[in-house]
Amino acid sequence: MKILVVEDEPGLREVIKESLEKEQYIVETAHDYPTGIDKIGSYDYDCVLIDIMLPGGSGLALLEELKSLQKKEAIIIISAKDSVDDKVKGLDLGADDYLAKPFHLAELHARIKSAIRRKNHNGDSFVEVANIRLSPELRTVSINNNEMVLNRKEFDLLYYFMINPNRLVNKPALAESVWGDYIDQSDSLDFVYSQIKNLRKKLKDAGAEADIQAVYGMGYKMIAP
Amino acid sequence: MQKKGISLQNYTLRYLLVALLPVIAIWAGLFYAVITEEVYDNIDDGLKNSKLLIIRETYAHPELLNAPEYGINQYKIEPLPKGSYDFSDKFISTFEFMEYDDDDEPVRLLQTVFNDAQGNPHRLTIRASLIEEDELLEDLLLALIGLYIMLVMSIAILNRVVLKRAWKPFYGLLEKLRLYKPGKGQVFENPDSKVAEFKTLANELREMLQRNEATFESQKQFIENASHELQTPLAISLNKLELFAENNTLPEEQMAELGKISDTLHRLVRLNKSLLMLSKIDNHQYDETEEVNITILTSQLLEDFEPLAEHRNIKISMVVQGNIAYKINKGLAVALLSNLIKNAIIHNYEGGTISINSSKGLFTIENTGSTKTLYKEMIFKRFYREGSNEQSTGLGLALVKSIADSNHITLGYSFNGNHIFSLAFPENNSDS
Repeated sequence: MKILVVEDEPGLREVIKESLEKEQYIVETAHDYPTGIDKIGSYDYDCVLIDIMLPGGSGLALLEELKSLQKKEAIIIISAKDSVDDKVKGLDLGADDYLAKPFHLAELHARIKSAIRRKNHNGDSFVEVANIRLSPELRTVSINNNEMVLNRKEFDLLYYFMINPNRLVNKPALAESVWGDYIDQSDSLDFVYSQIKNLRKKLKDAGAEADIQAVYGMGYKMIAP
Repeated sequence: MQKKGISLQNYTLRYLLVALLPVIAIWAGLFYAVITEEVYDNIDDGLKNSKLLIIRETYAHPELLNAPEYGINQYKIEPLPKGSYDFSDKFISTFEFMEYDDDDEPVRLLQTVFNDAQGNPHRLTIRASLIEEDELLEDLLLALIGLYIMLVMSIAILNRVVLKRAWKPFYGLLEKLRLYKPGKGQVFENPDSKVAEFKTLANELREMLQRNEATFESQKQFIENASHELQTPLAISLNKLELFAENNTLPEEQMAELGKISDTLHRLVRLNKSLLMLSKIDNHQYDETEEVNITILTSQLLEDFEPLAEHRNIKISMVVQGNIAYKINKGLAVALLSNLIKNAIIHNYEGGTISINSSKGLFTIENTGSTKTLYKEMIFKRFYREGSNEQSTGLGLALVKSIADSNHITLGYSFNGNHIFSLAFPENNSDS
């Protein structure tokens, strides 16, 4: 899988690159609009991450260029300008997703995975980790082909862990992804703990081979054998 | 609150009335003195004239010298022993018994000494009644009271008319100032006035407001820009930290330290996000509205908050007496309700309760919590924190207030042992 990151901020570019490479993606980067145009014209990617504010041109123009070339890349806009206008404009121009800075790397992976999955209809629509199999569309989970019943939030939690297996997912990232932006009180993050406790118990009872472990002070990690 | 002052009109009137009393009293005294002086003068002239006539008559008719008492001519002549006398006229004001009303009445006497044709000295006393003077005084007093009333009335009316006309542009200015809200981009127009002072005042005001507006605008822009500019470095530090924690197997204490750094950074992110949202509301960037059913939205949000409430053993109940439908930006409606619900959960105690009530046009959320009432004036201010909750950004209720204000919703707080926050929705906002 090849991913192009068009981002002018070197720090962010590096950290995204490093994080994605850990996921076994092949990552290329562009630091401004002309380089971006160059790479898009010359190569094919599975996914392109575009920052809206770029030196030498707008990320939205880059997006238009991609669409005019009839490319099939999944496109995710990343922007510091979390404005409704830009979001609507970006999605109208054919972007698959919009991610506002600052974001969690786990969230970025989740978005990339689902964007790519949506683009490739031929790929299977399941996420599998060890003997757990989850269908995001049908919202079902099965372990060893036995269906497991989870409530809405437990499902969302599990899904988030399964698209970030063996990665550290911190508590705020979990809370934001599952309960939305508005649960923003660190105080309330304690309750994430009780939710995960329930989920772990259900997974264990159903005989799952993967387990969710606490990483002291930071968050959780799904450990798959 | 400042005490409501007296109006300019009444103020000037009050001072004029108080000032008029002594002025009129002094003026009346002087007037009275002048008039009585004039009256005496007239009477004295009459008396002098009578003296001449009487003396001349006694020369022609010496029998007239035998008039020792006042007769119809109101004079008496008393013979004096020979000697040297002062022949000048003496005027005396005194009281004498008058038969006609059986009382002492004021009289004016002229006393003089003259020699008759034979050279014998006689004392002549002529008198004139001053009975009119009493009436004069009375008339004068009445006239003065009348004058005072007339003056006061005409001054009051003139005061009213003149002040109203002259100060009209001023009141126009006041009204405009009262309605002025910074950041609304209102154009401040000078009211018509020929008065130089008002023209200057209006010009100065307009310029001051323009400066204010510009400052306000740049401050709003600054907050928004600063928040935007902070996003990228925040993203970098946060992501680098995530990667670092992931890539390294660290001992627990170090991991815990990293966790603390990460928590602090997240707090910064939340703070920044809330600030950005606040400035966006101020900058009217949530103008896209739709009809939102507040009641249904609340039930949906409650589902999301249920685990959190359960975790703290808080019971939430909701009573729907009527649905609230309101035209508002959906995102803002979610932020508004979420913040209120979250607030009710966070500032509650283990095992507390929250009751939500939705009736036509009124949404209330009541929660148990601290037994003290909160400072009504302070709780909606930015960065105000009740107690010392370090994790609170101090922006939650400020956001609620800002969203309510920008959407013409009236936000209220009251305390009856429980804390009650209320949202009053105006009847119909479909055209606003």
